[in-house]
Amino acid sequence: MHNLLDDYAISNALRETSARLKLFLGLWAILLSVSSTTPIAPLFLAITMSLITVMLAKIPGRIYSRLLLVPLSFALLSAGVVAFMHGSGQTLFSLQLFGLNLAIREEGANLAVLLIARTFGGMCSLYFIALTTPMIEIFAVLKTLHIPQSVIELSMMIYRYIFVFLDQAAMIHSAQMMRLGDAGTKNSLNSFAMLCSVLFLRSWEQGERLIVAMDSRCYDGKLDLMEPAKGAKPLAILAVAAYLAAATAIAVLTRGVILL
Amino acid sequence: MTIILETRSLSYSYGDGTKALKDVSISLEAGKKVALVGPNGAGKSTLMLMFNGILRPREGEVLFRGRSMSYDAASLRSIRRAVGMVFQNSDDQLFAPTVYQDVAFGPTNLGYAAEKVKRYAGFALQYVGLLGYERRPPHHLSGGEKKRVAIAGILAMEPEVIILDEPTSNLDPASSEEIMEMLDELNLGGKTLIISTHDVDLAYRWADEVILMKDGGVVRRGTGQEVFGDAELIRDARLKLPLVVDLYQELAGRSIVRGAKPPRNILELCDLLQPKAETRAGVWGKIYICNVDEIDGEEIRAMLDKIPVDFKGAMGTSAKVMAEKCGISIDFTYGVIDKCILKALIGKSSIIMTSGGMVEHTLQRIKDYGLESGTKIEAIGLLQ
Repeated sequence: MHNLLDDYAISNALRETSARLKLFLGLWAILLSVSSTTPIAPLFLAITMSLITVMLAKIPGRIYSRLLLVPLSFALLSAGVVAFMHGSGQTLFSLQLFGLNLAIREEGANLAVLLIARTFGGMCSLYFIALTTPMIEIFAVLKTLHIPQSVIELSMMIYRYIFVFLDQAAMIHSAQMMRLGDAGTKNSLNSFAMLCSVLFLRSWEQGERLIVAMDSRCYDGKLDLMEPAKGAKPLAILAVAAYLAAATAIAVLTRGVILL
Repeated sequence: MTIILETRSLSYSYGDGTKALKDVSISLEAGKKVALVGPNGAGKSTLMLMFNGILRPREGEVLFRGRSMSYDAASLRSIRRAVGMVFQNSDDQLFAPTVYQDVAFGPTNLGYAAEKVKRYAGFALQYVGLLGYERRPPHHLSGGEKKRVAIAGILAMEPEVIILDEPTSNLDPASSEEIMEMLDELNLGGKTLIISTHDVDLAYRWADEVILMKDGGVVRRGTGQEVFGDAELIRDARLKLPLVVDLYQELAGRSIVRGAKPPRNILELCDLLQPKAETRAGVWGKIYICNVDEIDGEEIRAMLDKIPVDFKGAMGTSAKVMAEKCGISIDFTYGVIDKCILKALIGKSSIIMTSGGMVEHTLQRIKDYGLESGTKIEAIGLLQ
């Protein structure tokens, strides 16, 4: 029905690896990417993280590249703006547009490349987490990190019902399409507004049914059953440590390098 | 005969003034299979919600094991533990992010220790045949699997009575037959079952007692044959006759069959249509019964090679799991005993794989059939 990131997270080849280790790897890589002062480390992370996701976690390459198109459009747009707006140093490129002089200078170009690199480094690392670690395991890790119980319980139920409402939204949407709810902008907007209001009412009703369902199973304020987070294998820990050390070293060693 | 649930002049109206129940007084026996039937808005769901204290009657009272229900927190906990409820829409019931967490929800809230919770949840999942599904989220399950998880969540609390609101709605025919067969298995294990349904064929053949409701009241109660024998009553209640009854009445009208009561199932209908004298005595098939608890997959396959059978049936979850595990293709997965008897009557032999108390039940059922119909079919228990 839906081809969601969640489906891959459940079935990928790294499913059995410790969630804590995967989270640690992903978060460290994100921090490294966004804090790096040169594009080299983020680009290294983007490439290696993609390889890990596609080769080790066996996420289909086509799906993965389609996912990367999402940040690509944002990154290119903002990089373009940054490149033209910033700058000192030598002019690399200039053009006259309606009497305006638009130029890309060295600093602007560097910044734009850095922006793209950081975006991709960060997104590839985030996708690594999203595609290899199911939410349920993230909840288990959150619990070991002593996040308040009620926050976790609430997120678990929200997570569960996202899929129920997704199905309902899809059904309402098809029902609208069948009766030409998308004919023209005005109709589309109207349909969308109706979808939202109906979905709101349904979630309200669902909430009431949820209380009945919980009450009839003797709800006593407890939903604390978590599968224990699995420990990481020593070899995996070593590999992740070596990889992150290498990436950090690259970031530190190349911090003074200026490309242009 | 023990009365497990009883209502005395129960009335209930919803906030907007609609009278959902009017003066309902019924008593349900322990260990029975009860079906509530009736049109939409007859008050079936309202009555069911009264049975485990979700709704509180405006007038009248509900009694569990002879004691009037009280509505303080502690009494409600004990009543909801004893009377489990499976909702019509499984998504209403499965709110935890994984199968295991959902099944463990009840035992956890009953305050069991972690180890005990694990044991109970594991047992319930095994019972419904979903061991190995613990870590799956409910949105990755099929409708039938969701229903099984919902039932497992109730079983983990060890209820005496299980109430199921439209247990087969939205399921494909095979899934719904399997769910109903699982309910039979539970009933053999001593649980009292109450279902509501619009499926008259299901209510007719499955239930020991049928309660027909209309406009918030009970119109008629009795065996399926008593309730569905009255065509006018059924029409007034916006239901229809079960196919077997309808066919029987038409055949009786043409003097093709004779009998005081309509047949309960296809087997009885066939017997009515084909008088015993016409069946060729002695050429009946045999029914072998194999207990999968005492035997492993290899032995079953070796046995199947040795014994000449035309059909294979599996009854109960563990037999089905076993058959699937060792790649035995099964011809009958529901209504197994009747199917095998029907096949035996046309000279075909079959084997029934089953487990535990159902072995005895199967032998008894075939023996009873022999006594009732005079056609003695050989049932052979395969032992080690």
